Amino acid sequence: MISLLSHVINGALTGLLFALISMGFVIIYRSARVFNFAQGEVVVVGAFILWSFTQYLGLPMWLSIVLTFAFSAVLGLLIERIILRPLVGEELFALVMVTIGLLVFLRGAILVVWSADVHFIPPVFVSAGIRVGPLVVDKSLAVGGGITLLLAVAFSWFFNRTRMGMEMTAVAEDHQIALSLGLKVKRSIALSWAISGVLCALAAITFVSGKGMTFMVGDIGLTALPVALLAGLESIGGLILAGLIVGISMGFAEYFLDPPLQGGVGAVFPFFIMIIVLLIRPTGLFGWKTIERI
Amino acid sequence: MTLPAGVYAKTYDEDQALIRTRPQWFFFIAIMIFIFVLPLFAGGKVVGMMNMVWITLIAVVGLQINVGYAGQVNLGQSAFIGVGAYAAGALTFHFSAPIWLTIPAAGISAALFGAIFGLAAVRVKGFYLALTTIAAQFIFAFTMLKLPKAWFGQIEGLRLNPVSLLGFKFDTDVRMYYLIAVVAVLMVYGAWGLVRSRTGRAFVAVRDNDNAADIIGINVFYYKALSFFIGAFYAGVAGALWGYYIRYILSDMFTLWLSVWYLGMLIVGGMGSILGAIIGTVVIRLLQEFITYFGPWITEIKIFSGMGFEIIFASMNMFLGGVIILFVIFEPRGLVHRWNIIKESYRIWPFPH
Repeated sequence: MISLLSHVINGALTGLLFALISMGFVIIYRSARVFNFAQGEVVVVGAFILWSFTQYLGLPMWLSIVLTFAFSAVLGLLIERIILRPLVGEELFALVMVTIGLLVFLRGAILVVWSADVHFIPPVFVSAGIRVGPLVVDKSLAVGGGITLLLAVAFSWFFNRTRMGMEMTAVAEDHQIALSLGLKVKRSIALSWAISGVLCALAAITFVSGKGMTFMVGDIGLTALPVALLAGLESIGGLILAGLIVGISMGFAEYFLDPPLQGGVGAVFPFFIMIIVLLIRPTGLFGWKTIERI
Repeated sequence: MTLPAGVYAKTYDEDQALIRTRPQWFFFIAIMIFIFVLPLFAGGKVVGMMNMVWITLIAVVGLQINVGYAGQVNLGQSAFIGVGAYAAGALTFHFSAPIWLTIPAAGISAALFGAIFGLAAVRVKGFYLALTTIAAQFIFAFTMLKLPKAWFGQIEGLRLNPVSLLGFKFDTDVRMYYLIAVVAVLMVYGAWGLVRSRTGRAFVAVRDNDNAADIIGINVFYYKALSFFIGAFYAGVAGALWGYYIRYILSDMFTLWLSVWYLGMLIVGGMGSILGAIIGTVVIRLLQEFITYFGPWITEIKIFSGMGFEIIFASMNMFLGGVIILFVIFEPRGLVHRWNIIKESYRIWPFPH
């Protein structure tokens, strides 16, 4: 029973981490109508940058974190400016392929710059698990989960209540109409890429702090996909629910299905849930339903 | 030269012919002869490389029908190839089934697996679909490693003996070359016919605007599912040949990155053109060989000396990613577009294009 409970709690926290990464996907998709497949690699770049600042240059942790945030935001802006700006208005396939190309390119570049060795990232939070009665919870995951919840509330407020956020939501609905109403479409898109870069860095910090990591960590960008799709690509509040659904069902799947199947169920189970949900609700749980016209 | 300087068809049959002029017949026959005598004078390394080119070509042509013609973004092609390889491998391994049965069976089983995602495509659109097909990859790899060991060998994979047809044993690269080349030529010919048929035109209509296609009476659901079915069928046949060629099948061979390579070939060659699929496959494949050949040489450069062989992997990735990004931004219609420009300017010469 205790073991089941700890599976479920750790699953839920992992789900919230996926939700944090998915938030990066969603914020870009909301404004630019682009799904950035390379998000996982941006997370890896963030983690390696943190490593470079703390271990290679020996800077103090707080300064390194600030610099990592700044660097990731600039990386997001550069991706938008160099790669996606020329493709505004192109068909879907071009947008899918260019971000996949970016994913592959960044993976190669990361290998060249930081090599395939295991890099140890110093713990950002005091490590060791938190004990809640008989349960042990991974601390950085717990802190990450808390941050995710806070951010989800903050961004929901930002997009629905502030002028800037409302502008970005309007841009998300239709670029041309937004432009004709005098909204700054380019600024909104650039801002969303910068925010998303910072979120990637944040995800990197909570995910890898106190662990050894290699470039393979980038796969988390794909592992987090079911959360983004389940929520619908436009909903930020929905990410929390989707993250919890995915995480908790992962916990249950690991507990009940792993012994007969010799492990590995947790990673695939979310994809099954995702396909079933998408067949019933093609735009996820909270995605915008748009009426298509010819 | 090879092209008519205008459209001269006088009957419907002439108008529908794939090969229209005498020089075209000449070049067609010359190419066919070249394909079938190639292994007689080429070295073993070239034949081995050509085998992989043919296999890749089948998969990429299938992907072209699915993605380039029907417009359904598919990131799961390599999982479909894997399903075909396992199906053919298991049939040969357990039942010693003949290859004239196993290769089509592999195609059908991959097609059925693909059609599941085709059904998803009926409901799900755009980015949602692209992401759903990635799930094919994860589900495939997981399932193959979890099914009973007696079926597909789990982590140890399937080891096959050389297959044979009518007593002819395909146990060398050259012998395998003929099997693969014949199947590939048939498959490419089929694709060329298909995209000119009613089905192919329906695919293009669905790609260009599925709502409009629905209104003019095209059964969009059927054609979306069909495009996945056909694309995955090609993948399954490619998988069967691949399995028979290297005689070893393991789910790790069929990664998501392979699907990305195939899509890269489509982009470089040109979307919505069978010729584009051929050009893309050959060009990218040759460049891959080039990098594998010169990769070790890069490690001699001082700054990369600490890296060893992972530099090949890294430079392959940077090359593939860079090529995809550059082509999407600067030449979205691919190399085949260049070829079409040349063809057109020849046709209307002496007027400028």
